Amino acid sequence: MRLSHTRWLASLFGFPFAFALAACAGSERAADAGDTGGTLIVTVPAEPSTLFPPLLSDTQGAAIVGVIFDRLAEIGDGLETYGDRGFQPRLATSWTWANDSLSIAFVLDALSRWHDGRPVTAEDVRFTFRVYTSDSLVVDNKSLLGNIDSVSVRDPRTAVFWFKRRMPRQFYDATYHMYVLPSHLLDTISMAKLENAPFGRNPVGTGRFRFARWEPGQRIEILADTANSRGRALLDRVIWSIAPDFGSSTVKLFAGEADFLEQLRPENLAQVARTPSLRLIDNRTLSYGFLGFNFRDRSNQARPNTLFSDARVRRALHMAVDRERLVRNVFDSLGMVALAPAPRALIPDTSAFTQLPYDVATAKALLDSAGWRDSDRDGVRDRDGVPLAFDILIPSSSSSRQRYAVLLQEQYRAIGVKATPKALEYNAWSDAVDRHDFDAYLGGWQPSPGLVGLMQTWASSGSSNAGRYASPVFDALLDSALTTLDPTTSRRYWARAFQQIDDDVPAVWLYEQRSPVAISRRFITAPLRADGWYVGLADWRVDPAQRIDRDRIGLGTPP
Amino acid sequence: MLLRVAQGVAIVFAAATLAFVLLQLAPGDPATALGEGVSPELRATIRAQYGLDDSLATQYGRWLWSLLHGDLGWSRDQHRPVVAVLADALPRSLLLMGCALGVSLVGGMLIGAWQGARAGSRSDRTTSTALLILYSLPEFWLALVLLVVFAHQLHWLPATGITGEMYDYMSAGQQLVDRLRHLVLPLASLSLVGVSVFARYQRNAMQESMAQAFVRTARAKGLTESAVRRQAWRSALLPVITVTGLLLPALITGAVFVERVFSWPGMGYAMIRAIEARDYPVVSAGVIVGSAVTAFGAALADIARDIADPRLRSL
Repeated sequence: MRLSHTRWLASLFGFPFAFALAACAGSERAADAGDTGGTLIVTVPAEPSTLFPPLLSDTQGAAIVGVIFDRLAEIGDGLETYGDRGFQPRLATSWTWANDSLSIAFVLDALSRWHDGRPVTAEDVRFTFRVYTSDSLVVDNKSLLGNIDSVSVRDPRTAVFWFKRRMPRQFYDATYHMYVLPSHLLDTISMAKLENAPFGRNPVGTGRFRFARWEPGQRIEILADTANSRGRALLDRVIWSIAPDFGSSTVKLFAGEADFLEQLRPENLAQVARTPSLRLIDNRTLSYGFLGFNFRDRSNQARPNTLFSDARVRRALHMAVDRERLVRNVFDSLGMVALAPAPRALIPDTSAFTQLPYDVATAKALLDSAGWRDSDRDGVRDRDGVPLAFDILIPSSSSSRQRYAVLLQEQYRAIGVKATPKALEYNAWSDAVDRHDFDAYLGGWQPSPGLVGLMQTWASSGSSNAGRYASPVFDALLDSALTTLDPTTSRRYWARAFQQIDDDVPAVWLYEQRSPVAISRRFITAPLRADGWYVGLADWRVDPAQRIDRDRIGLGTPP
Repeated sequence: MLLRVAQGVAIVFAAATLAFVLLQLAPGDPATALGEGVSPELRATIRAQYGLDDSLATQYGRWLWSLLHGDLGWSRDQHRPVVAVLADALPRSLLLMGCALGVSLVGGMLIGAWQGARAGSRSDRTTSTALLILYSLPEFWLALVLLVVFAHQLHWLPATGITGEMYDYMSAGQQLVDRLRHLVLPLASLSLVGVSVFARYQRNAMQESMAQAFVRTARAKGLTESAVRRQAWRSALLPVITVTGLLLPALITGAVFVERVFSWPGMGYAMIRAIEARDYPVVSAGVIVGSAVTAFGAALADIARDIADPRLRSL
């Protein structure tokens, strides 16, 4: 029986279906004159490839685009993806679900303007969907928009998203993966040529910051948009200063040339603590790292891997690893043991499933029972004359993974397993992982909220499932967790799915990395969101008592 | 002259072809360089779109055809024409390398000539030892030391970049000072080693020149010692000019590392970024430019040598 829309939404979210939100103009805290002003200099290790939102491929570009452009609605700090719970208005001031829940009508803010002064229209939203789903462009998020059938224009201020089927994350799909683009600037350019259009280096958005300049190899500057309907950004400007060498980046920070450094390393923590002008802000990230096993023979991929296809061996290799000690050793206080193929921030209930314990004696017993014994007393177990040995593939660009590999080697040696770290240049490493040409590898993922990406990384049919872990039970549980409309039932499926994959041990979940940022004490910040520190950047401000020369420049154009 | 130009073109072409082939043979491609979060399907789409699945011969033919039509292609990593990438990077590198070459040449010649005129003296031995130490230092190591001491510890000079972040908001005078301050550390990193190289050659040449018969004749004719040294120095120029041409490739290599340390966005920075991103068109174009600069520099050195010693013109 089909649920009426009201009943369905009520059961799903527990509040009325027509969730019209107050117009956001004026809802932001009004900026007092004393609150505005200031220059934030962010030192970054790489230059973005482009600032064209659909083609973003790096974190630097994501940060800049994230403050220049707007989504229709912004996900809440809890990163809740069910229905529209927690979402805040952005370009859309309200939205209405259709009775059958197969469409959502977004009403745009009448006051929203592009940075060139043109109003934001529903046609912009329709055009945006066309671009993100175009076959002529290589858009990473395209695969996440598969449930959206089309976008239509009801009137100049109302865009309607039509869905193929009812799913818990329809609203999230329609809002989170796309920044709205200006059709009046782009629709005369063919889709194939958008990739290299000048817009990507001179973007026009709707955010509370507007793009100012990009000096290649040096810096990218954005300025507060004083005409923004949601209020101007409190800072006057933010400059991303490009310093490709990490050491140089830290020197800029400690010398006061820069105010903000993301992705601080453990060895920098003490120095930040000793520097009176700086402070640390804890920053959760959504990334996790793991030691993945290859279930197929690397030389003949039609055959199972003789070592890792045995669950006893995988469990032994998991139980022999003191993950807590490894995290402390490599990340100090900047990491924690991962529980599953998802960071804690995205796991609905971390207490609902159990972990394999660290237990060397049991690990040894498991290997004994699998027939792996040290028959020739050379310190390495063997079976039928074959030693229990494998390579751990690591990218040479990651110092933390290199340290992990060495420590794992040591811990495996204690149970008679010979693990050999094999470092490859990043592209070579990535190529080998893509071709499944490895025994075991140290990998990392950063799933987006909603955990839909698990289908790609750990499900049997997942194209990024490098180790070819295949469990029909896990697949079914994952599918149920992602498609069940009732949140409580979904949580139960998630718990069972995580328990299943933890018991199957396709990988040893090693760490979740915290990524504290160092920032000048002049700045008063908004809370950092786990999927992007920059989300609240427009509300950051400078303490008036601590302003320095560059904070007093104002918004005037350069001489 | 025509032969020299033809040789230069052949060298540039061979170097660019070699770079193209080696990069294609290296593991990975622009699709793998995108990072871990990219699905294999997307990588496959990228490969198909850019023709990366085509054979090496096909890709080479396509590249060569474009090159012959004066088209260096598009940077897949920077989403802009390769010409624009070079137009940004090349002048910055030429500025740094030109200044470094000038300081190295002038400083090295002055020190070398001064040493050569008093070869064997205590001051000569002390200076030679100091220069030998400088000569043995790798440029990137020296760059790091200078960075740590003068930017990190003393805060006397800026750490990175060509200009400060607030450059656009400065007056013209402040902008000039800012540019000079940013130039000091990378220039010092490159030219301290360069000075030691030129000084060693100049000293030896000067020492030999001072022992020549024409110097004794000049003294016998009653010329002042400074006039004698000027004559000897002119004759000692030849080896220095020769080594200038030979040093250009080393200077370019050194600039790559120094640009990296000081985030100087020149050709070195562009090349490293392009190699990491497997941005083949930029790497190939960079090799063409690098080898052209080297060939041009060597030709200039030959011409200068001909001017300095007219006997060589007839050879």
